[in-house]
Amino acid sequence: MPQGAVAATPGLQSFIKSLKSTPVEPSIEHLISLLKRRQIRSSRPCAIATAALLLRVVGEVRGRDAGKLLRRIREVGKRLTAAQPREVVVGNIVRRVLGLVREVTEDNADTDTNANSEMSHSFHAQHDSLHRPQLSSSISTFSPLKNAVTEPLDTNLHQSDISESAEPAKRPSLQTSHTSYAQSTPMIGSLFGLFSHPDTPSTASTPTGFQSPAGKDSSITALNLDRLADLSTSKVDLKAEVLDGIRELQDELEQSDDLIAANALDHIHSNEIILTHTASTTVQKFLLAAARKRKFTVVHAEAYPNDHTATHATVLTGKKRYDENDDAEDQWKPLTAAGITVVLIPDSHVFAIMSRVNKVILATHTVLANGGLVAAAGAHMIAKAAKVHQTPVVVVSGVYKLSPVYPFDVDELIEYGDAGNIVPYEDGDFVDKVDVDNPLYDYVPADLVDLYITNLGGHAPSYLYRIVADHYRAEDITL
Amino acid sequence: MSDTPNGGAVQAPALAATNESTNRTPQAPSRDQNVTAAIPEESSKLSPAELKKRAKAEKQARRAQAKSAGPSSNQEKAHPPKEGKQQKDQKAAKDPKQGAKDDKSKALPVRRRPSQPNPPAPKEIKKETKKEQKPATGIFFGHLYNQPRQHSVVGASKEVHPAVLALGLQYSSYIVCGSTARMVSMLLVFKAVIQSYQTPQGTSLARHLTSHHLSPQIDYLRSCRPLSISQGNAIRWLKDIIIKIDPSTPEFDAKRELLEEIDNFILHRITVADKLIADNAAEKIKPQDVILTYASSSIVEKTLLQAHEKGIPFSVIVVDSKPLFEGKRLAQTLAKHGIPVKYSLVSGIAHAVKDVSKVFLGAHAMLSNGRLYSRVGTALVSMLAFSRDIPVIVLCESVKFTERVALDSIVGNELAPAEEILSQTERAALLPLKAHIPCRPNADSKDGEEAEAGTGEVISWFKDVENLQMLQVLYDVTPAEYIKMVITEYGSLPPSSVPVVHRMSTNI
Repeated sequence: MPQGAVAATPGLQSFIKSLKSTPVEPSIEHLISLLKRRQIRSSRPCAIATAALLLRVVGEVRGRDAGKLLRRIREVGKRLTAAQPREVVVGNIVRRVLGLVREVTEDNADTDTNANSEMSHSFHAQHDSLHRPQLSSSISTFSPLKNAVTEPLDTNLHQSDISESAEPAKRPSLQTSHTSYAQSTPMIGSLFGLFSHPDTPSTASTPTGFQSPAGKDSSITALNLDRLADLSTSKVDLKAEVLDGIRELQDELEQSDDLIAANALDHIHSNEIILTHTASTTVQKFLLAAARKRKFTVVHAEAYPNDHTATHATVLTGKKRYDENDDAEDQWKPLTAAGITVVLIPDSHVFAIMSRVNKVILATHTVLANGGLVAAAGAHMIAKAAKVHQTPVVVVSGVYKLSPVYPFDVDELIEYGDAGNIVPYEDGDFVDKVDVDNPLYDYVPADLVDLYITNLGGHAPSYLYRIVADHYRAEDITL
Repeated sequence: MSDTPNGGAVQAPALAATNESTNRTPQAPSRDQNVTAAIPEESSKLSPAELKKRAKAEKQARRAQAKSAGPSSNQEKAHPPKEGKQQKDQKAAKDPKQGAKDDKSKALPVRRRPSQPNPPAPKEIKKETKKEQKPATGIFFGHLYNQPRQHSVVGASKEVHPAVLALGLQYSSYIVCGSTARMVSMLLVFKAVIQSYQTPQGTSLARHLTSHHLSPQIDYLRSCRPLSISQGNAIRWLKDIIIKIDPSTPEFDAKRELLEEIDNFILHRITVADKLIADNAAEKIKPQDVILTYASSSIVEKTLLQAHEKGIPFSVIVVDSKPLFEGKRLAQTLAKHGIPVKYSLVSGIAHAVKDVSKVFLGAHAMLSNGRLYSRVGTALVSMLAFSRDIPVIVLCESVKFTERVALDSIVGNELAPAEEILSQTERAALLPLKAHIPCRPNADSKDGEEAEAGTGEVISWFKDVENLQMLQVLYDVTPAEYIKMVITEYGSLPPSSVPVVHRMSTNI
């Protein structure tokens, strides 16, 4: 692609392309400006861009110091989320990568300390609880994360300037029964404890970490020193493992739609009437997967005034937007080509039609820890109309959209868009006198949703907090 | 009716019709046969031919040529201006329902369909065929697709009064919109119609006026847009009045009496009623209230302005939806009077409803089971308001009450042309997709397509996709439990009292 064309349409494609040739720091700035200008928007592009950037960032970090790596990722993550706080997915990906680093270091520490005689038992106990469980595998009932997600997370969310050391400092008090040193120290959070030990003044004051090596050394306890030494001498290449992990994450982003679509036949039967809203690749793939085996009808609400063009494009061509070069690789076909009857309706018709609809399938922008979701404007009224008609509402979403954010103030999460989409600015007389509101997103409370389908399978909204706990470290919830 | 008078001429068009309709529904020929049943020898020739369409078509082409010796290239043009009347029959024959109905209803299509022979005819024919296809696929409102819709005065029967023609156009283009406005304008136009009426010899005004003079007008209006409940009520009342006129009354007096009655009706049922309702409803607005209203209703507008004139400080949120954007005008009017107005579309309703203290709604009709039949989207607004315990107040004149009942919005509704779902700007926004539109059999010549007007082409993309439908209705039904109060000129009442008030108002 010539450079000129890239510059003409800044966005995900141009960013990914430029990432290969640009140094890291300008790339970060590039992504920040793209996010600020909303040139990369909506969850998937944001997630892809963030993962790609972090891959570069991690690759560039020198040395095998896990703490340095964490600090660097965290610092980049902070800047990215500050650029566009409502694209929660950016933060999600950063947290996932942070968790990855922790996991790798813990695994290393684990294998190294395994040989140690008396410590091994307590470390194992700790890892069972803190270790990110593989997908939906069971987790020990005693989990500090559980508490972290439901309680400390909430308080921290709205005191974002609180020092990160506050949380680990609070943590040991949660388990009153354990008083021995060997058990309480790991609770501070394995390696994380190294850098944010409550006793050290340096970490408490500078959470993002510009600590001097001297300050760090002074804070290291005998045990930690042991582990750090182990880590630095360990054979495992921390960076390579993290990079592999990020690539896995990227694969997950790519495959999540297909994994979700694999569930389609469990939920859509023949001759159903399915209502969906706005344009979503996930929903489209989900329906297409079902369309291969079954014939049903799709009623598509068009999400005027913000996403109607994308909706029309989806209905016509199967894809909501076209970038210059990506349409060649995967062939998209609209649902109609698969023999599915698609009925396009304006949003206002939802209530009128709902009495005939068997199932509502919603796409989402972000899923929150309490089981609620943020989706395109209009989703709330659709979910509500479905509720009063006793129609099940199914939300399809990749796990990467699951966010540890708890919605205390829903309005904070809602972005307002260009009022000119509703009333063009040419209509000066009108725009002058009347306030025009154009919310881009709706918050849908958890009680309006019947089922979530993620790439891990189907979940009740009440269970989502658990999946959140499985994917994010309590330490990382506040970036 | 008009089949028999020009029975001789019928043959040619019927033949031409079948010739042209070989690609139409297979029943078409048999229906043609129905029409031409008056001429036995013709039908006997047709019935065997039904089986072999092609052969028949050729034969008919020859016959048609022979019959109408004048325009020899008759069947190629498909709509020669001379054959206007005859084509009517063909059209009438095309519609199965109308063919099956009684004499009177059969006459209707004949009166309003003859638009075909004129220049815009090809378009009209296209629409017809589309409508005929739809019921097979229209999943929700298939039963509504046979409602005809007319957008021109072309071919209206000569009995239709010019004022009615103009009004019909205004109906179909939504210039006159809203059930009150439509009813009042209709009555005013009927005044002109009655004024220009002359009772023919040998009959009386009471017997003749309704069936022979008013009904064509009504039929024409209905063909432009299905009549509103209020219009239906008004027409019923008017017919009742006409019937009751003593046949011995001199024509001049009878007409004057009728005109006065109509004026009184408008005065009592609309003007005064509106004032009473607005007085009553304005009292409900308290200082610092935030009133939410949906789309546009004249009576809500009146109420809000009246409350504003009383000096009550309140603000209004106007929620609107495509494609009519009626609320825009309301918002503008209110803002002009200095009321703080917020404007939002229906997709943002969940946000708009947050700080609202009352919801005021206009009505198209109040159904006898207490449900509100109003602009599509009203139910969504009421639902969200109800879930937040915000009182929903309906302002409705009793003339809009009906004995009809409905459980959902599907059975009785009015279909809007599906093309209207895409505004010009929306179509323009889709133009870049051109390269990605899946290839259609007739889309081979890309250059030829590009020559077409851009936005017109977009709509054809939608139409060409086989399984794709665009759906647009105008009304929905709001469940009675969402409605706290209905304010009428008889007072404020719960929705359950609607049938009582309806009885009261019709008995007076």
